Amino acid sequence: MTPIIQVSDLHKHFKLSKHHRGFSGAFRNLFTREYRLVRAVDGISFNIEPGELVGYIGPNGAGKSTTIKMLAGLLVPTSGKLVINNHIPWRDRKNYVAGIGAVFGQRTTLWWDLPVIESLDLLQYIYRIPAERFHRNLDEFRQLLDLDAFIDTPVRSLSLGQRMRADLCAAMLHDPVILFLDEPTIGLDVVAKERIRQFIVHINRERSTTILLTTHDLSDVEKLCERVMIIDHGQLLYDGALEILRDRFGGKRKLVVDFATEYEHVDVEGAQVVNREGLRVTYEFERGAMTASNLIGSLSSQYRIHDLEVREPDIEVTVRRIYEERLLEK
Amino acid sequence: MRLFIELAKRSFQRQLSYRAATFAGLATNFFFGMLRVAVMVALYQTRGEVNGISLRGAITFTGLTQALIGFLSLFGWYDMMNSIYTGAVASDLLKPMGYFNFWLAQDLGRALAQLVLRGFTMMAAYAVLIGISFPHGIGQWTALTVSLILAWLISFSWRFLVNLSGFWTPDARAIGRFGFVLLYFVTGFLMPLRFFPDWFVRMCDYTPFPHMVNTVVEIYLGVLSGPQVAVVLTKQVVWVVLLVFICQLTLRSGVRRLVIQGG
Amino acid sequence: MGYILGIYRRLISVQIRSQMQYRFPFIVELVVTGFVTISGFVTLAFVLQRFGSIGGWKLGEVAFLYGLVETSFGIMDMIFSGFDPGNFGRQTRLGRFDQLLLRPVNITVQVLGSEFIIRRLGRIAQGFVILILALTMAHINWTFGKILFLPVVIASQIAFFGGLFIIGATISFWTLESIEIVNIFTYGGTEMMSYPMQIYPNWLRDFFSYILPAIFLNYFPALYFLGKPDPLHFPTFAPFLAPVAGFGVLAIALAFWNYGIRHYQSTGT
Repeated sequence: MTPIIQVSDLHKHFKLSKHHRGFSGAFRNLFTREYRLVRAVDGISFNIEPGELVGYIGPNGAGKSTTIKMLAGLLVPTSGKLVINNHIPWRDRKNYVAGIGAVFGQRTTLWWDLPVIESLDLLQYIYRIPAERFHRNLDEFRQLLDLDAFIDTPVRSLSLGQRMRADLCAAMLHDPVILFLDEPTIGLDVVAKERIRQFIVHINRERSTTILLTTHDLSDVEKLCERVMIIDHGQLLYDGALEILRDRFGGKRKLVVDFATEYEHVDVEGAQVVNREGLRVTYEFERGAMTASNLIGSLSSQYRIHDLEVREPDIEVTVRRIYEERLLEK
Repeated sequence: MRLFIELAKRSFQRQLSYRAATFAGLATNFFFGMLRVAVMVALYQTRGEVNGISLRGAITFTGLTQALIGFLSLFGWYDMMNSIYTGAVASDLLKPMGYFNFWLAQDLGRALAQLVLRGFTMMAAYAVLIGISFPHGIGQWTALTVSLILAWLISFSWRFLVNLSGFWTPDARAIGRFGFVLLYFVTGFLMPLRFFPDWFVRMCDYTPFPHMVNTVVEIYLGVLSGPQVAVVLTKQVVWVVLLVFICQLTLRSGVRRLVIQGG
Repeated sequence: MGYILGIYRRLISVQIRSQMQYRFPFIVELVVTGFVTISGFVTLAFVLQRFGSIGGWKLGEVAFLYGLVETSFGIMDMIFSGFDPGNFGRQTRLGRFDQLLLRPVNITVQVLGSEFIIRRLGRIAQGFVILILALTMAHINWTFGKILFLPVVIASQIAFFGGLFIIGATISFWTLESIEIVNIFTYGGTEMMSYPMQIYPNWLRDFFSYILPAIFLNYFPALYFLGKPDPLHFPTFAPFLAPVAGFGVLAIALAFWNYGIRHYQSTGT
C-alpha cells in the first residue's frame, strides 16, 4: 500500500534579517541587510500509512509547527519531496485542503460571533458536503463530543474545552482522510482531555482517518499513539513504536504496593524501595533486569499484598533523556 | 517635584525611541501640509489679505498646525482610558503625586519630544522648502512660548477629561473619538478661525478650544496687537484654571464611583 | 462561479449579522463621521464665503468633488474592509491568514468576506447627502450620458481606492505591521481629490496623473459633469478614462496581491 503521507528530505529554511541595535544600528539597517539562516526543518523523511495515528513531539522551537504547516499546505518547503493523499499540498492547495482537516489548539477555525451550528452550516457549504452525509456526520459528532449543550452558543462564549470539541467536529464534517492536530489538548483539564482523546481514537478506528498529532502533553502520546516521531533542531531523532522507545530508553519502572499489614522489612531482590508511607511502599526496578510479573510474584510469595500498581516511567522523562543525552546519536 | 521631572524625563526618552514611526508620520504630515499650502495659494488667487492674514501667513499656518499635531495629540490620545481598562489605574491612583499630576508629567515628556521631533522638524522643512514667516522680536517669541505652554495645558486638561469617561463607561473610546474629532473644527486647526464668520468665532470663544491652536497661531503670525495678545493670554490662563478645576472635580467623582463599584 | 458568489454572500452575511448585535458602535460611527463630514463641509462653506471661490471653483462645484469622493471611499471602505491596511498586518500575525489557507476557497474572496463594516453606511450616507446638496448648488446640464456616467465614476473610484487598500494590505503582509505611508494615498488621496486638482504644484499633479492616476477619477469627470473648461489641456476624452484608471489600478493591485500570497506561502511569517 502506498503511504498516504510521503515526506522525503524535507527542508525549510528561513532567512531572518539581523536587526542592528542602537542609533548607528538603525542606519545600518537602512543600508545593509544581513541575514542569518534558520534551518527550521533540516532534512526530514518519513512515510505514514493510511489509518495510522502518529505522535509528533519535540521541544519548543524544534520544528514541529513548521513541519505541520508544510504538511497542511500553509508553507512552501525550501526543498524536498512532499506528497500527501496524491497531492503536493502547497501547489494544489484548494483540492488538497478539501480532503484534510486541521485543528490548531491555539486558535479556532470557526466564526467568532456565530453560534456553533451556524459555523458548521457554513462549512457544509464551503466543503460542498451533501446534505445527507452532513447530517449523518453532525449527528454522530454531536453525540460523541456532547455538543448539544452549546451548539447554539456563539464561539466567543465557549470555554476552551467546548471550543476544542466544536473545532474537532468542524474538522471532521467533510470526512477528511487525514487529520492534523496541533496541540489539541493544550490548556484543558483532565476530563476534557480524556473526552477529546476518546474522540480521536474513535475516528481513527471507525473511519480509518490518518491522524498526525503534535503535542507537548506526553500522556496524549502514551494514550493514543503507537508510533511516535521525535523532532529536535529540525531533525528527526526517533521514528518508531512507542513501546520500543520506552524499552530502549525508558529507564526505571515503579511498582506501588499496598501491603495488608505493616511489615518491618519489605526488601525484595531486584528492586529498590524508594518510598514508604504507612502501608504503601514504592519500589523501583530496571526494565532490563526484572519483569513486573516476576517482581510481583516475588513479593507476593513473601508478603501479603492488598493492592498494587505498575507505573511506567514518565515518557516526559524518557524523552528529555533522549534530547539531553542525545541517546539516538549514532 | 522630583518625581514629576523624573516621570517627564522618562516619557520624553520613550517618545524618542519610536523612531521608525516618526519618519512615516512626518512624511504623512508633510504631504497633508503640501496639500493645504496648495489650497491656500489657490484661495488667495484673488485676495491679498483676509481678515489680517496674508498668503504667507496662511502658508505658515498650514505648517504650524501640522507641527502642533504631535505636540497637542490632536488626533487622539487614549493612553489613560486604556490604563483604566487594564486595571493599572488602581496603582496609578495611589501615586504620591496625585493622578492628574501623574499623567501631566508623562504628557509633558511626550509633548516636548513631539515638539522637538516632529514640530521643529516640520517647521524647518517648511522654512527650507517653502518659506514661511517668523515672529519678530523678543516680545512675540516670549508670548509664543507662554502661549504654547498654556495651549498644552488646555489640551492636556481636555484630553484628561475625555479619558476620565473611562471611569464611567466601557465605551469611553467612542466618547473619546468624538472629543477629538470636535477639535479639528473649533480649535482653528482645519482653517484659521479668522476665515470663519465673526458670529461663529464669537461662539467658539465661549469654549476653551480656540485657545489650543488658534491663539498660538495668531500670536505666531503677529496678527494681534500688544494689548490683544495680553487679553488672549489671560483668557488662556483663565481656561487653564477652569479646566484643571473641572478635571479635579470630575476625577474625585470618578474615583468615588470606581471605589463604590469595586474597581 | 455560483459557488464563489455563494461563499461571498454567506461570508458577508456572517459579518453583517455579527455586527447587528451591537447597536452602539453603529451610532457612534454615525455621530463621529457625521460630525467630521458636516464640519468639513461647513468649513468649506465658511471659507468660500470669505474667498468667493477656489481656483475658480465655487462651493457647489467643490462640494461635488467632496461628496463624490466621500461616497465612493465610504462604499470602498465597507466592501474592502478585509483589506484594510491598518489592520491587515496584525490580523496576519494573529494567524487569520493561515485559517483562510486551510479552506478550499479562493483566498481573495475569503479576505473580502472576512470583514464588511456596515457602520460605514454612516459615512456613505453623509457623502451622498453632500453630493445631492452639491448637485442642487452647482448647475449641471444633465444629459443622458451624464446620468449613465455618474455611477461609472463612482464604481471607478471604488475600484481605485480598493486597489490602494489591497496594495497596502500586501505590503503590510510582508512587514506584519501597518504601514503609515499608505495613509498618504488613501486618506491623503481623498483629501487631495476633494479639491480641483489644477491648484496643486506641477510635480504633485504629475505624480497623481501619470504614476497614480487619481486625477482621472474625480477631477476630469467633474469637469465633464460641471461643464468646466480644462485648464490643463488634456485630451477631450480624459474624463472617460475614469474606469480605465480605476479598474487598472485595481487590476495591478490584485496582481501584486496574488504575488504576495505566493511569497507568503514560501516564507511563512
